[in-house]
Amino acid sequence: MASRIVIDPITRIEGHLRIEIEVKDGRVVDAYSSGTMVRGFELILKGRDPRDAWAFTERACGVCTTVHALASVRTVEDALGIAVPPNAELVRNLMFCAQYLQDHVVHFYHLHALDWVDVVSALKADPKQTSALAQSLSSWPKSSPGYFSDLQRRLAAFVDSGQLGIFAHGYWGHSAYKLPPEVNLIGVAHYLEALEWQKNIVRVHTIFGGKNPHPNYLVGGAPCAINLDDANAINAERLAFVGRLFEEAQAFVEQVYLPDLLAVAGFYKDWGAIGGGLSNYLAYGDLPTRGYGDLAGFKFPRGAILDRNLDQVVEVDGKDPDQVREFISHSWYAYSDGDDASKHPWDGETRLNYTGPRPPYEQLEVDQKYSWLKTPRWKGHPMEVGPLARLLVAYASGSAEVKEEVGGALKALDVPVAALFSTLGRTAARGLETRLIARWSTEFYQQLLDNIKNGDARMADQTKWDPSTWPAEARGVGLSEAPRGALAHWIVIRDGAIDNYQLVVPSTWNASPRDAQGQRSAYEAALIGTPIADPEQPLEVLRTIHSFDPCIACAVH
Amino acid sequence: MGGAPLSIWEQARLQGHSRRDFLQFCSWLAAAAGIQASGLSQVVHALDTKPRLPVVWFHFQECTCCSESFIRSSHPIVSDIILDKISLDYTETLQAAAGHQAEAALHETMTKHKGEYLMLVEGSVPSEADGVYCCIAGRTALDIVREAAADAKAIVAWGSCASNGCIQASRPNPTGATPIHQLISGKPTINVPGCPPIAEVMAGTIVYLLAFERIPQLDGLGRPKAFYSRRVHDTCYRRPNYDAGLFVESFDDENAKRGYCLYKMGCRGPVTYNSCGVIRWNNGVSYPIQSGHGCIGCSEASFWDNGPFYRHLASFPGFGIETTADTVGVAVGAVTAAGIAAHAITTNIRKRKVIAEGISESTPATKGEGESHG
Amino acid sequence: MNGATIERVYVWQLPVRLYHWVNAACVATLAVTGYMIGRPMTVPVIGEASFSYFFGWVRFIHFVAAFVFFFNFLGRIYWGFAGNRYAHWDQFLPLTPRLLRKQWREAVEVMKVDILQAKVEPMESVGHNALAGWTYFLSFLAFLFQSVTGFGMYAAMSDAWLPHMFAWIVPLMGGDFAVRQWHHMMMWFFIVFSMIHVYLVFYHDYVEGRGVISSMAGGWKFVERRK
Ligand code: HEM
Ligand code: HEM
Ligand code: NFV
Ligand code: SF4
Ligand code: SF4
Ligand code: F3S
Ligand SMILES: [Mg+2]
Repeated sequence: MASRIVIDPITRIEGHLRIEIEVKDGRVVDAYSSGTMVRGFELILKGRDPRDAWAFTERACGVCTTVHALASVRTVEDALGIAVPPNAELVRNLMFCAQYLQDHVVHFYHLHALDWVDVVSALKADPKQTSALAQSLSSWPKSSPGYFSDLQRRLAAFVDSGQLGIFAHGYWGHSAYKLPPEVNLIGVAHYLEALEWQKNIVRVHTIFGGKNPHPNYLVGGAPCAINLDDANAINAERLAFVGRLFEEAQAFVEQVYLPDLLAVAGFYKDWGAIGGGLSNYLAYGDLPTRGYGDLAGFKFPRGAILDRNLDQVVEVDGKDPDQVREFISHSWYAYSDGDDASKHPWDGETRLNYTGPRPPYEQLEVDQKYSWLKTPRWKGHPMEVGPLARLLVAYASGSAEVKEEVGGALKALDVPVAALFSTLGRTAARGLETRLIARWSTEFYQQLLDNIKNGDARMADQTKWDPSTWPAEARGVGLSEAPRGALAHWIVIRDGAIDNYQLVVPSTWNASPRDAQGQRSAYEAALIGTPIADPEQPLEVLRTIHSFDPCIACAVH
Repeated sequence: MGGAPLSIWEQARLQGHSRRDFLQFCSWLAAAAGIQASGLSQVVHALDTKPRLPVVWFHFQECTCCSESFIRSSHPIVSDIILDKISLDYTETLQAAAGHQAEAALHETMTKHKGEYLMLVEGSVPSEADGVYCCIAGRTALDIVREAAADAKAIVAWGSCASNGCIQASRPNPTGATPIHQLISGKPTINVPGCPPIAEVMAGTIVYLLAFERIPQLDGLGRPKAFYSRRVHDTCYRRPNYDAGLFVESFDDENAKRGYCLYKMGCRGPVTYNSCGVIRWNNGVSYPIQSGHGCIGCSEASFWDNGPFYRHLASFPGFGIETTADTVGVAVGAVTAAGIAAHAITTNIRKRKVIAEGISESTPATKGEGESHG
Repeated sequence: MNGATIERVYVWQLPVRLYHWVNAACVATLAVTGYMIGRPMTVPVIGEASFSYFFGWVRFIHFVAAFVFFFNFLGRIYWGFAGNRYAHWDQFLPLTPRLLRKQWREAVEVMKVDILQAKVEPMESVGHNALAGWTYFLSFLAFLFQSVTGFGMYAAMSDAWLPHMFAWIVPLMGGDFAVRQWHHMMMWFFIVFSMIHVYLVFYHDYVEGRGVISSMAGGWKFVERRK
């Protein structure tokens, strides 16, 4: 008989995620993913000014801050027929890049690394050997034996204090940890360095949006005016600041993140065959280079891949009523036409209807409703979204840059293409796209400088700012790529106010409960077959779940 | 392991910091917390002798941006706080343990340090439907918050979510989102509003508690006076433009490029208490107004319901999004004027009779006593 | 004069008249400057912000007028106890059942005059008629509200003790935003009140012919006395 294991809370994620698994003969045979917190954004947005929606939706999540703001202004601009000036598009791209750089690095070191890196084992490392290893991996300057022995002493003092803080009760010593002590020590060093570093790159948001988390956006462009002759606007000093931040970010990614990723991955190649899950991938695409209207200019292309067939990319349309639809068969909501119905987001409904067990509870009633996430499907298929989906769609669309990047990594690790469809592949894809983005950011930066040099200082189109210029009814969709995957907002505007607003979020795709047909979504599917060495310490579950970088506040909203 | 926990100074020494580094840190601390030089020795003494403060950090209905903001702190730097200054024993965002091991870490601290641990809360607590809108490990946030608060030394409510309910508490508040101070009474509770609060304000609050073992001076809304006693407007560097009557009239216009006041773009600086204009964001790089967008009032209670954000006056309740007190006022004024005009006209039509009566009244011998008003 | 004479009565003592016109001037100033604070117009200024303090002056005038307005109002409250019977509080507030009955009767009569434009008994009251008294009382409450909210907001920008006495209103009303909204809305009360008030004193002056308007200047009313 299979035994039920409950992991709640799943930590080192954003939000409130509960995983229940059935384990039999040391493997996961079934899995249930549940989001246990709801706020009701879609209800709160009704009746508000569409121009304010970015600020509301941005608060869906502070970890992937800005991405909802971006999707939201695009949604409203789509509904009202506004095209933003090129400078605004570039500023949005730069903020996008800064978000990915920060979010992915923090995910790797602070949310994911402890699944692979045994902090306590780092105490046994030899600082000299660690230093030699670090220097063989990259040219990052902080790599002297003294640096590592100081760190080791600091770590020892911490452990000796008897107050283990965030490291208390970790799965230290678990048989699934495979790294030698020296690699573990490098991991700890870079955990702390990354914590220091991440607060720099977000200053790009501070410069253009005034703060981070939750920088400001603007329907029709960006709020930061350009004026090279004034201290109060985006001027040469601000631009130079931005340029330097991206340079430093690129150095960190090239010299720390990617080398660490490949070094760690080398010890866990078996995870290239675990955690694959679904075989369908969806990306909306992003980083326009010739305006949001010109799909062919996107750095990340749009499309869907079915059955892992990399020879064909299927076209995706957010406005087609038969493509994206949401189910609530296993979600704590009610639809006016029955809970097995599905709805396109323009007709979406959000009515909270909890039918789960009374708390405190031990187990969810998984054959009924068991989550606050709705279940999105694309043409009826469950889809995985995220860095892996983005890279696969780009790869299959023939992007030379992406092909080269992916090919290089496969070669370095000496694994086949099939290894991409796995927990390891997902984690590697995140690193690879971070490197691409670090490079692209300098392209966008240069374009912004060129534009300004050529005399274009426009930052916002305000011709349709006034609600009196709007039609009585308008609908729009804003598609984007958040760090965790395909993100879209749908809006219906009536008489100048929001009549309906629906978010379908990357983690909604991945972490949702099953649909009316009983098809699993990405988390649940990926867990099937995962080995469990010790049911009391389900470290392996965390590895696969963390490879998706869960954000449940986003997913439920 | 075991034995008496090391003091903060002892740990700093073990980590290779000199006494001089340590004293420097203490004086930074003192300055950040607004302590006079004479109080410095107290800070030094406190950190010299104290073990790391056990801290538990809860997440309820929130977006985790308060945690994100916290880790952006530049002085003191966050790894120092987490590793050297406090013992962060429970925080879903960063801790290694998950599931029942995470819960074990929490309960260990709550029993071992009963009455001594600091409770930090990020997020509001849903009170509708018996609290099922936020559950952790099968228990409601409501349940958890009550249990943990009972033996906490003090509570810090991070961000607008925990201190005033924030976005999920805005109309129609579908889950009954409630701030902490409305659920817990009889515990010292510090509200640190903002969506999110500035990193250094968060770190400064922790450091104050650590060094002085008492609650900082709070205002009427439970906010540390050190950070929330001035309006954004009063420390705004664009204020001279406001005083001169120089306003941005539309985003990206000539006035925007010159950095004029954003009042007409709906800036909430005049009604918002926060230290954005002084401390600024992300190590002093900028703040909303400096980057061209008005303040949206993110540290004020119910700022979400004070919209639309790009207009100074809120929508008048019940009259649609474009209606303000001024629209209603002008309408009432117009109706009044029309009423007065109508009244004046009818008075005038009746004027002859009225005047005639009036004249007859005041003219002797026209009418007798008692029949003058017939 | 058949059974009736016209008498000159000294109704409005100097403090009341002074109060009235100072108050009227303050309210007008406060409404104009307040409206400008709430909805600033575009000022065509040439040059840098440092050369101009236009808006600073608008606020300055608002605050000066506010202080004058407030102390003037306090003075009137005092005079409600110290002044003659027309200035007294029971002219505004029927504190005894007898007064209430009397004022109610009169208020109904006034409404007949004002709304039905019917001619009725001459007013018993020499000072305010009862209905007017009540609306003035309402306006006193509005003055109080405006002062509390105004000084409550002002407390944040001032070190003076007076504004700080009102600082409690801000947390009570849920923050500066709400206080300002109410303060702003109340401006419309004053505008509408003044329109109706000024019209009605003219109207009453006209239909009653007792010299109502000039009474606020000189203090005297002409009252019909029966023999
Ligand atoms: C009849 C009396 C008054 C009227 C009609 C009036 C009207 C106004 C109006 C319309 C505003 C603009 C509100 C907005 O932002 O939309 C305002 C602001 C203000 N008023 Fe008054 N007001 C009156 C009395 C007072 C008094 C007695 C004070 C006491 C100090 C006061 C203090 C203020 C303050 C502090 C502001 C905010 C100014 C700023 O933040 O720059 N007002 N007033
Ligand atoms: C041209 C403008 C005005 C004229 C001609 C005027 C005239 C008068 C007159 C004749 C009275 C005595 C009425 C009676 O016997 O019932 C009076 C009383 C009063 N008026 Fe006005 N008024 C003017 C403007 C205002 C304004 C702007 C306000 C305030 C918003 C105001 C507030 C009052 C109050 C409160 C009283 C009662 C005075 C007291 O008993 O202390 N008036 N006014
Ligand atoms: N899922 C999700 Fe997000 C992201 N990335 C956004 O749309 O995390 Ni908070
Ligand atoms: S207060 Fe704002 S920033 Fe903090 S968790 Fe809540 S929504 Fe996020
Ligand atoms: S920009 Fe805002 S805070 Fe600054 S002076 Fe203008 S109104 Fe005040
Ligand atoms: S929006 Fe918030 S960040 Fe500061 S400037 Fe206003 S309080
Ligand atoms: Mg949704």
